[in-house]
Amino acid sequence: MPKGFFTDTTVCIGCKACEVACKQWNQLPEDGLHFSGMSYDNSIELGASTWRHVAFIERPVALSGQNAGDLSWLMLSDVCKHCRRAGCLEACPTGAIIRTEFDTVYVQPDICNGCGYCVVGCPFGVIDRLQSDGRAWKCTMCYDRQKDGMEPACAKACPTDSILFGEVSDLREKAAGRLAQLHERGVKEAYLYGADKHSQPGTEGLNAFFLLVDKPEIYNLPREPEAPSIRAKQSWLSLAVASAGMLAAAIGAVMSSRGRGAR
Amino acid sequence: MNDGRSIDLTVATLEGEAAQQIAPSREEIEPPPVSVAGGYYGRPYLKPPVWIWSIPTYFFVGGIAGSAMTMGWAAQMFGGREFRRFEQHCRWVGALGGCVGTALLIHDLGRKERFLFMLRVFRPTSAMSVGSWVLATATPLSAGSALLARADRPLRQLGDTAGAAAGLLGMPLAAYTAVLLANTAVPLWRESRRSLPLLFAASSMASMASLFELMSLSNREQAVVRRFGTIGRAGELAASLQLEREAGPAVKPLRQGAPGTLWNAASVLTASSLVVSLLPGKGRKKRILSGVLGLLGSACVRFAVFHAGKASARAASPEPELPRFPE
Repeated sequence: MPKGFFTDTTVCIGCKACEVACKQWNQLPEDGLHFSGMSYDNSIELGASTWRHVAFIERPVALSGQNAGDLSWLMLSDVCKHCRRAGCLEACPTGAIIRTEFDTVYVQPDICNGCGYCVVGCPFGVIDRLQSDGRAWKCTMCYDRQKDGMEPACAKACPTDSILFGEVSDLREKAAGRLAQLHERGVKEAYLYGADKHSQPGTEGLNAFFLLVDKPEIYNLPREPEAPSIRAKQSWLSLAVASAGMLAAAIGAVMSSRGRGAR
Repeated sequence: MNDGRSIDLTVATLEGEAAQQIAPSREEIEPPPVSVAGGYYGRPYLKPPVWIWSIPTYFFVGGIAGSAMTMGWAAQMFGGREFRRFEQHCRWVGALGGCVGTALLIHDLGRKERFLFMLRVFRPTSAMSVGSWVLATATPLSAGSALLARADRPLRQLGDTAGAAAGLLGMPLAAYTAVLLANTAVPLWRESRRSLPLLFAASSMASMASLFELMSLSNREQAVVRRFGTIGRAGELAASLQLEREAGPAVKPLRQGAPGTLWNAASVLTASSLVVSLLPGKGRKKRILSGVLGLLGSACVRFAVFHAGKASARAASPEPELPRFPE
């Protein structure tokens, strides 16, 4: 049964318990102790050793249902989306990236040889190669915990249930219910990001999808993410044409030199 | 543990999913630069390619090898006896280029000792997997065909078969790297997916001919190389214009900064090498000049596309006109 996350950003309070739980459970090293100066976000983005990242968006825009004036503060706990059609998995030449029995996308550290192709294969900029380590890393959706029937550390730690873990079909139902509830309350901006194949054909839907209240770009998510292989045919076809041209040129060059004397 | 894991090893064991991750030292860690310029604190939503100089160098070297293998096959089929020497040169250049290219690729790997894992699976959705198999097959075939050329009849025929197979594989070898770039999320590479393979194929022809112009060749061989090179150079110029058109707004990184300079230099170098090679006269100096210009032009094309791609991913930031607080 496909497992996934439903991250409801409207109840995220930005406590970063998910970030900490992820680091601790997976025994990830630190990323340095730096202050970015950008709201409360000091981890800045997902990376090889940051598998949960809470984004903080302060903006001079009112959010319906709130009376804070022209101000709203959005928070989103970002994570690997475990795409149904995963660009990283399709790019991996070693077979290090696999789809698990939980339908999640997992990088096997004992196979990855650090070729770096998954890094440019991901349309979300999630996976990265750690220079000091040489391999590519990303969220495993706590593969080890799931094998023991436990929910991932971030979902377990989330105090507001902004991060829900479960079977994707159940999560979709919950998300639809929550969306209807918000719309009823007048939060008409709310919508689901990547919940299914229909709304996000480029990834065929995300196993880790989101409820957002502004444009995806506001959260640094691409508007129309697409697994690169979707348009692969065009480049392969172009290569075939180029190959035919090259062979014709080579044969033509040899043939047309016939009749010339040797040196 | 002093790498930020804060794990007391007297009570805990290192068995987490990332327990074996080798952390950088605290001094090595550089926080990503942030700004209020636009998007999400000026951060791109893509990760830039992690590849280093050896990758565009491989594009260049692998291109020469692939074109040489294909040319060797053409000479084998239609050249007759007096092209045996030229054919051998092609095969050796193909084999040597394949070996150097393999070394360049391994040099970029994060875990070099695992280079053979590239042949662990065959994944048609991954241009890198397809390319690894092409490179790993074509290189020994080209070397084998060259080694068997002086053997007796049955073995020599085997060598010719290997030469033909290498010639077939040489075509994808010369330009699959363009497909590899096109099948990524990087806007510039992705948006130029139709013209990039044409550009790389033409550029590989031009660079192969340029390399051979530096060698001492018979009149017939010279004629073959010049024609092949003329098609390659003209194709390279045409494909680069086509790429600028096809890429649309994503072409921007190719028009500015260091990649822009390389891109312009490539056109100038290739055009001059084309002009020099077509000037009347058969002097050796003329050929060497056009060869050097052609090689530089082809190398510049690969480095320009590579570095512009990096810049393109770094600039992949959502609309700058998102609402911001006044400063």
